[in-house]
Amino acid sequence: MGGQRMSGRVLEVEGVVKVFEEGAQRVEVLRGISLDVEPGQVVALEGPSGSGKTTLLSIMGCILTPTAGTVTVAGEVADPERPTRLRDIRRRSIGFVFQQFNLFPALTALENVEYALNVKGVRGAAARAQSRAVLERVGLGDRKDFLPRDLSGGQKQRVAIARALAGSPRVLLADEPTANLDTAVGEQVLDLFRELAREESKGLVIVTHDPKVRRIADRVVGIRDGRLAA
Amino acid sequence: MVSLARRNLLHDRMRSAITIAGVAFAVTLVLVQVGLFMGLLDKATTTIEHSSADIWVTSRETPNVDFAHTFPQTTVLRVRGVDGVERADNLIIAFMNIQLPSGAEEGCLVYALEDFASWNLPWAVDGGDVRDLKRGMYILMDRSAERRFGRFAAGDYREILGRRFKIIGTTSGAASFTTAPIAFMDYHRAQELSQLLLSRTSYILVKAVPGADVQAVAAAIRRIAPYNDVYTRDEWAARSRRYWVVSTGLGMNMGVTVFLGVLVGIVVVAQTLYTSAVEHVKEFGTVKAIGGSDWDIYRILAEQAAIAAVVGFALGAALSYALRPVMAKLYLNVLVSPGFALAVFAGTVAMCLGAAIFSFRRVAGIDPALVFRT
Repeated sequence: MGGQRMSGRVLEVEGVVKVFEEGAQRVEVLRGISLDVEPGQVVALEGPSGSGKTTLLSIMGCILTPTAGTVTVAGEVADPERPTRLRDIRRRSIGFVFQQFNLFPALTALENVEYALNVKGVRGAAARAQSRAVLERVGLGDRKDFLPRDLSGGQKQRVAIARALAGSPRVLLADEPTANLDTAVGEQVLDLFRELAREESKGLVIVTHDPKVRRIADRVVGIRDGRLAA
Repeated sequence: MVSLARRNLLHDRMRSAITIAGVAFAVTLVLVQVGLFMGLLDKATTTIEHSSADIWVTSRETPNVDFAHTFPQTTVLRVRGVDGVERADNLIIAFMNIQLPSGAEEGCLVYALEDFASWNLPWAVDGGDVRDLKRGMYILMDRSAERRFGRFAAGDYREILGRRFKIIGTTSGAASFTTAPIAFMDYHRAQELSQLLLSRTSYILVKAVPGADVQAVAAAIRRIAPYNDVYTRDEWAARSRRYWVVSTGLGMNMGVTVFLGVLVGIVVVAQTLYTSAVEHVKEFGTVKAIGGSDWDIYRILAEQAAIAAVVGFALGAALSYALRPVMAKLYLNVLVSPGFALAVFAGTVAMCLGAAIFSFRRVAGIDPALVFRT
């Protein structure tokens, strides 16, 4: 299963099925999903609660493994039998942005980004310099020494985006990134996403209920009952 | 490198303070309790270790230096004839009653030798000369006796077993495990005090010829004194200590105290680390989601435990050190050797890391998918 696959796509999902089993109960959450993301492309993944979109995002992010089907990230096939390899893919090629930001509350904005780089193997002065650059990139250079509690919702989400960008992953996966932001701030964050995708050729998948995301999406994909809707 | 462990500890100040206080309490308990015990044990062997005797000949099955039994003093003549013996003298150690000015009667431990100076007993004399002891009804009294006997000075008189002795000076550092104060007097004066001591001795102190094999000399003495026990200095000190540690249950008591101290430390550290791990579980999920491994999370918990151990030990050690002068005023010696302090430090680190295992179990195999749950 493992190995490199050369392709122009940064993310390929082929025939993914996900079944959760609890005792005798068997729930098929995803039923043969296929989806590709090109570099620089923004894909909005929409669907009602329980439709399977977060499960799909987790599988695309190599956090969950599919029951059937394959996921290829930046040319690398995610082998569900090799958790270490999945972790390496996450480390190298994927950046996550969460609805609740999930920042480390004890670390400053700069340290949040730097810590992510440390986890990815970048240490010392190089990590610090990259963190500063990424924070500048998202417009938070002047807030780098602030703790998350001292930042607004929009600023927190920008730190989360900066952290996701740390290490220059090819794919960004965002889970309801505007859900906890007011309209104006949400728009700004979406503009930033679009800018990053375009300028840095990142494949961006946004799971959302927010219709405003359509404005920046190159492609809108609906998901209903575990299947892609047209 | 950013230390999430350190920053989390600083962030959760109250919890960190509780963790560190728990460790410091356990360390103080262990250092002070064991230090006191070691101080007491030091008293149990201080005269053995300060005397210049290489070998001690005792009556059979004498359990420790304080609880002496007598045997014929002529045995010393045979000991002096053993190859490798440079000098051998009789030593009487006996509990005797002393009459205090208040009319009260107390017990004291009398050390009696013919020539104290040759055996480095007593080793710290203030305002008197040990050589004068043989010149009359004279005693040297250890300064620590003031706690039991009240104040005294050179020139004062005290009655021992009904006979009046003049205190010609004081000593310091001479103590017994039983807390009975030590008085030094001439060997023959001691024998005059009790019929039981006539022609009898408690011990024979032996000095080996320089360069002689002390074990071989002791073995030779055993052959000519088959009704006595013969120990080298280290063997005799170890036997005396062992009596107090094992036979009296003090060692068990100390073990229980240390165990409870460690248990308190483990419970406090484990509980606070575990609560911290539970509260930070989403952060740990995030660490895994961004590519961290279980080991990255274990490292965070282990670092927190290690910091608690180091800071807690430093505080506990400082507190124990600060308590030493207070204890000294109560004539209690808190004896903490560098080796023991090092062992307690290693134990503290092990205890904290052990306590962190409960947290390891909580976060082991944590599902990074929880980062998507609101």
